[in-house]
Amino acid sequence: MREIILLLKTKILSYKNSSKNEEKKRFLRFIIFFSVGLLFWLGTFLIFFRVLSYFASIEVIGALLASRLLSMVFLTFFSLLIFSNVITALSTYFLSDDLQLLNSTPVALSSLYAGRFVENIVNSSWTVLFFSFPVFLAYGLVYNATLLYYLTLIGVIVPFLLLSAALGTILILILVYIFPARRLKDIIMLASIFLVVGVFLFIRFLQPERLVNPESFYLVMDYISNLKTPTSPLIPSQWAANAISPLLFGYPEDWGFFLLLLWSTGLAFVVMGEWVFKRIYYDAWSKAQEAKSAKLSRSKIINRVLETMLRPFPSQIRVVVLKDIRIFLRDTNQWPQLFLICALVVIYIYNFSVLPLEKSPMPTFYLENLLSFINLGLAAFVIAAIAVRFTFPSISLEGRSFWIVKSSPLELRKLVWSKFWLNFFFLLIPAEILIITTDILMNATNFMLWLSAITIGGMTFGITSLGIGFGAYFSRFKVENVSQIATGFGGMMYMIVAVSFIGLVVILEARPVYLFFMSKIRSIPLTGAELTEIVVLLFMALILNVLAFILPMKLGLRKLASLEI
Amino acid sequence: MIQLIELGKRFGNLVAVDGINLKVDSGEAFGFLGPNGAGKTTTIKMMAGLIKPTSGKVVIDGWDLAEHPNRAKKVVGFIPDRPFLYEKLTALEFLKFIAGLYNFSSNGVEGKIDYLFGLFGLTDWRNELIESFSHGMKQRLVMASAFVHQPKLIIVDEPMVGLDPKGAKLVKEVFRGFCAKGGTIFMSTHTLEIAEEVCDRIAIIQEGKIIAVGNMKELKERTGSGGKNLESVFFKLTGGEEVKRIVDALKV
Repeated sequence: MREIILLLKTKILSYKNSSKNEEKKRFLRFIIFFSVGLLFWLGTFLIFFRVLSYFASIEVIGALLASRLLSMVFLTFFSLLIFSNVITALSTYFLSDDLQLLNSTPVALSSLYAGRFVENIVNSSWTVLFFSFPVFLAYGLVYNATLLYYLTLIGVIVPFLLLSAALGTILILILVYIFPARRLKDIIMLASIFLVVGVFLFIRFLQPERLVNPESFYLVMDYISNLKTPTSPLIPSQWAANAISPLLFGYPEDWGFFLLLLWSTGLAFVVMGEWVFKRIYYDAWSKAQEAKSAKLSRSKIINRVLETMLRPFPSQIRVVVLKDIRIFLRDTNQWPQLFLICALVVIYIYNFSVLPLEKSPMPTFYLENLLSFINLGLAAFVIAAIAVRFTFPSISLEGRSFWIVKSSPLELRKLVWSKFWLNFFFLLIPAEILIITTDILMNATNFMLWLSAITIGGMTFGITSLGIGFGAYFSRFKVENVSQIATGFGGMMYMIVAVSFIGLVVILEARPVYLFFMSKIRSIPLTGAELTEIVVLLFMALILNVLAFILPMKLGLRKLASLEI
Repeated sequence: MIQLIELGKRFGNLVAVDGINLKVDSGEAFGFLGPNGAGKTTTIKMMAGLIKPTSGKVVIDGWDLAEHPNRAKKVVGFIPDRPFLYEKLTALEFLKFIAGLYNFSSNGVEGKIDYLFGLFGLTDWRNELIESFSHGMKQRLVMASAFVHQPKLIIVDEPMVGLDPKGAKLVKEVFRGFCAKGGTIFMSTHTLEIAEEVCDRIAIIQEGKIIAVGNMKELKERTGSGGKNLESVFFKLTGGEEVKRIVDALKV
């Protein structure tokens, strides 16, 4: 026990000391994280409260729907927790830097297992726990639950977390025992992203909007009987739902039985985890150390094409761009994000292609152009979301190798601008494809098509500049995991500023577009005052774009020049 | 080739380098010695342009590093103590990248790279990703990269870390050969034997100040070490008594 406490204490102290060094930023960071967290929390609560209140008002199938939703919530949490535990366990048990030291000391295997198990649960479960709270609170409030419901909930969640952490740990122990750990991370990431993308596309192409058609309801009895069937009696998430449901919907089920089932299974898996750990950990750990030098396929054709394409550029720019592209193509950490974004773009375009505009009571001409205007803001937001993943980290990705560039005669200005142009074209192409495709799908007017295409082009300058500039300002060269760069404080600040910038440009363009369409609908030409207003507002939008293009780059460059490594 | 004029660096209240003055001529191999935390790496980082001095200046090949950083850096090859490299590039791609950074991409670059791979024993590894290299191999690759643009000056922080005896011997020969052809070496090291074998002159830094500069003969005379080696000179200058106490304390 003393060893376990010692292991955990080291982690807590490391966390405490690392936050001590960032005293100045801490308060601002806390405020932003707190506000964003609270916003999500409130949003989740309100959505569930609204949906559940609606269910509660429907007789017969209302409670069935709420109960089915609860099973789905638990199933979702269960899958998320196992997935999250698998990823975290790989780091905590196999890839963490301090393991070299720990495994050379006489720490008992059971202590290492237990210490890391607690760390694993905390790291992998806190977000799920945090966002599950408003869901369960909404259930409790809508169905007037008693104190017993909340107490049972705690009794359900604890073994639920233990069970998923133990399952995740056992799974990763066996996987690393069979496959090398350093490749495994890529495999898991890629497989999981393919899975998520697949599920996304599957749900999207099922066209859930068809459910609102009355013709779909002819099999209502089939529907009810389907709702009554539990998801699967063997899945622990269903036990959790069964333990809670009687306290919410007054079902006569034996909730105590399911509670005990959860506890006994949870604890059994924790013990089984220890048993597996003691037997195979050292072998698996040792294998994980040997697998560093995995080869990656490198295509000579791609290299030749890139070198030929970049030949016209000066040598310093050419080598920096070439290096960035090569690293991007070879770093599998980046791929899952790319797949996810491709799927989002496909879903986005598909959504516009199935919009039933002709059924709307509003004039089609007006609606199509209004939507294409909203589309402009949304598409820019998608581009900003891509930029936070790829453009924002591009300076930090120099990593600990930044000394190479900094000690060379390459001017930082050239480095930063070469990254700017590479990212600009990388973002401009999907931005224009997105906006032109969706506008064509919506039959938007030529005016709107041109306006959107030009505006998104202009905004891409700003979005890229903000990404590179903020990325340089909030650069993190010592981060171990690439994805941490985008999700940190700087990434959040970038998103806040980028979204505000997009919002402002859209607001500044809204009035001119409104005036233009009103004159078209009414067939009255624009007055002189209206024309002036249009010109002034569009000019202001242009100025904003220019500012967003210049200022962040200057700010980032200045910070980078003063940086000491 | 190198002039350090009243060079100083503070980190908050800590004075890491305290107004040092040094002059190193072309063709000279200069050793920079000192105990841990004496200010060696900070000085070297200032010379490589990685950190800015709080006071004073660094002049390299006649160029003030603060005013003309790129002209000064052009003649320098820098070898840090820890070889953090672009792990996803191959050794060949990395050397081509370095050559490009120094605008050294003429027709002769391929031949120069081939020569360096041969010299540092990396020919068979030229198309392998750097992530598969051992620490010693990375260190050799960094050394090769420091020579790729034909520098006049090599600044090196702890050259022997991670190198096997064969690699260490090779590095000593490369450095000597480089100086014989008119190149300059500025080297910080803990390996006193290397400093003694390679360096023409040595400076000893302690608590941010240079406490002694000279060739071996001058340093021995100054400390009264007679025929003894650099180790005894070093301990006399930097507090050998303290080391003796530590050694005694470690005895079981």
